[in-house]
Amino acid sequence: MHLTRRGFTTALAGSIAAPAVIRTAYAQGATVKLGMVVPMTGAAAESGSFAQTGAKIALEQVNKAGGVLGKPLELVFEDDQTTNPGAVLAFSKLASQPDIVAFLGSIRSTQMHAMAPDMLKVGKPVGFGGTDPNLTKLGNPWLFRFRPNDSYSGKVIAQFGAKELGKKKWAIVHSTDAFGTAGGKALAEALPDNGATLALDQGYANQSQDFTPVVLAVRQSGADILGTYFTFETDLGIFARQLRQLGVNIPWVGSPSIVNVSALKLAGPALYNTYGVADYAEDSSPASKAFGTAYRDVRKVAPDNQSSWTFDAVTCLAMAMNKAGSTEPNKVREAMLAIRSHKGAEGEYNFDKNGDGLHGYNIVKNDKGEIKFDKRIDFTPQLG
Amino acid sequence: MDLVLQLLFTGIGIGSVYALVALGFVLIFRATNVVNFAQGEFSMVAAFLMVVFSVKIGLPYWVAFVIALICMAGLGAVFNLAVYYPLRHRTYLPVIISTIGASIFMANTTLAIHGPEPEVLSGWFDTPGFMLGPVYLDNQYVLIIVVTALLVALQYWFFEHTLLGKKLQATSQDKEMASLLGIPVALMIMITFVYSAVIGGIAGILVAPVLFVSIGMGATIALKAFAATIIGGFGDVTGAIIGGLALGVIETFGAAYISVPYKDGFAFLVLIAFLIFRPQGIFGERVAEKA
Repeated sequence: MHLTRRGFTTALAGSIAAPAVIRTAYAQGATVKLGMVVPMTGAAAESGSFAQTGAKIALEQVNKAGGVLGKPLELVFEDDQTTNPGAVLAFSKLASQPDIVAFLGSIRSTQMHAMAPDMLKVGKPVGFGGTDPNLTKLGNPWLFRFRPNDSYSGKVIAQFGAKELGKKKWAIVHSTDAFGTAGGKALAEALPDNGATLALDQGYANQSQDFTPVVLAVRQSGADILGTYFTFETDLGIFARQLRQLGVNIPWVGSPSIVNVSALKLAGPALYNTYGVADYAEDSSPASKAFGTAYRDVRKVAPDNQSSWTFDAVTCLAMAMNKAGSTEPNKVREAMLAIRSHKGAEGEYNFDKNGDGLHGYNIVKNDKGEIKFDKRIDFTPQLG
Repeated sequence: MDLVLQLLFTGIGIGSVYALVALGFVLIFRATNVVNFAQGEFSMVAAFLMVVFSVKIGLPYWVAFVIALICMAGLGAVFNLAVYYPLRHRTYLPVIISTIGASIFMANTTLAIHGPEPEVLSGWFDTPGFMLGPVYLDNQYVLIIVVTALLVALQYWFFEHTLLGKKLQATSQDKEMASLLGIPVALMIMITFVYSAVIGGIAGILVAPVLFVSIGMGATIALKAFAATIIGGFGDVTGAIIGGLALGVIETFGAAYISVPYKDGFAFLVLIAFLIFRPQGIFGERVAEKA
């Protein structure tokens, strides 16, 4: 075979360009892909499976309605092992796939803090569920929160406990991770505005086997109401049981984990008559009810916020891409920020300039194991 | 004073859990000179077996307990044959790595079979506890303390007053000499693994009503039990018990009077202090002395 100079140059140019062409073609493949960092192993593996179910229900609905830009939407899951290093590794595995156009991060604020620098570098939209208020103040334009942040939960817990229940002397028990610390701080800061005082601010390390010292501290503080921010349901279950066993029966208003399916199963009667702020409450709106029905069809149990935020995140990201007419990150970001009055499972989405979509919470009561919707308290957002 | 007594009871209760798991560490260390890092997973597997037999199948609690322990004995035998026996002539390092691998394998197999959902296992009693003066006594913790004391007594009698116990001791002290005296060393090690798996299983079943049944429960307890074993002195049964109890009491009082978030830190501070100033533990002997 005779190789001419022109032929050689063409072949060389072709071989240099080929990987980029193939990569681009691959990126514009048959499906539009969302990467999802989710716990499949470790302490939060159970809630991770709920999160996957929520995302899959949204995926099915999006695809039934025509998909994204005429293509089916696809989810790519990566296990975060319920650890920060695991989350960082999982995100970097997903980020290395150029055909993934947007991501779902974690419901755990501490993991979001760990992944946030990489998310900034990758420069693609990320929906997440961590509720530490600082996460949307990091100057990272790619983060979009699908749950109300803890500045709202703190305000709602304080307002409900002080105004509705009439209790003014508070004990706050919180995890010492990013979520628990930020939540506890937000609640403590909201107390003076509601004429209440702080009797005890007690942190604990996650995965504790015993809460006796914490319960005794609550008892000795003389508090007449308890506010909590628990990260793991097993911790909450052990604490709830020991609290009741050691005779502490003051009213208790907790962060959303207090109404999680796992917490209800583990703690049982120890959580009866407690109140919780819940970003997801099935009876709070027709959209929440519809999600509840769809979820029960799949899992045969009631949904909770572990699945509702991923449902909303997949729905909103798909909606934004369709509205933008593109998967180009900046266009999707603009479309996300323009979302107004979208009725999701968690509530009505109005994204502010920081990327916070929700601005209020539901109050629910544990009535002998049944979660009953009480009321919704919303705050007016500052939309940019 | 009420507070002190309440904390003391809780500390001894949680310490007894560490001590029970630490017993398993010590037995296997004595027999094979290696640390079995899968000891915590024995507890986790037994607790899940209890859930299957008692909750899912609905067998009476005692029957489920006995069947779960028989399964644990079987698991101990398989563990010996698959994890230790093929590497018995190698140095301690490959065996330790093998036990770590087995630990991960057991945790992930349970995860694959059962799924990640934590489970509730009821205790042996209808009521959760009772007041003794100003102190609330959790029935399950009382049971754990009693069972730990009984097992220690039984173990002492077994090792000191039975022929099999003496054969096991001889094997742990010098395998070659034991073999020359006609003691079937491989069988003795097999019995040790079976017994350790059963002890770990008892610990898991006893603690499950307090800490719930979850994939991670074994690792959480085993870490503290391992620290207790070092504090007490590797290879010493009394040391494991004292170490476990001390650790439980120290972390409970440390949490109550100094800092709750640093509760685990107190336990590991004591561990570091022992490693620096008395690496052989409270009752342990130096390796050189043992040789």
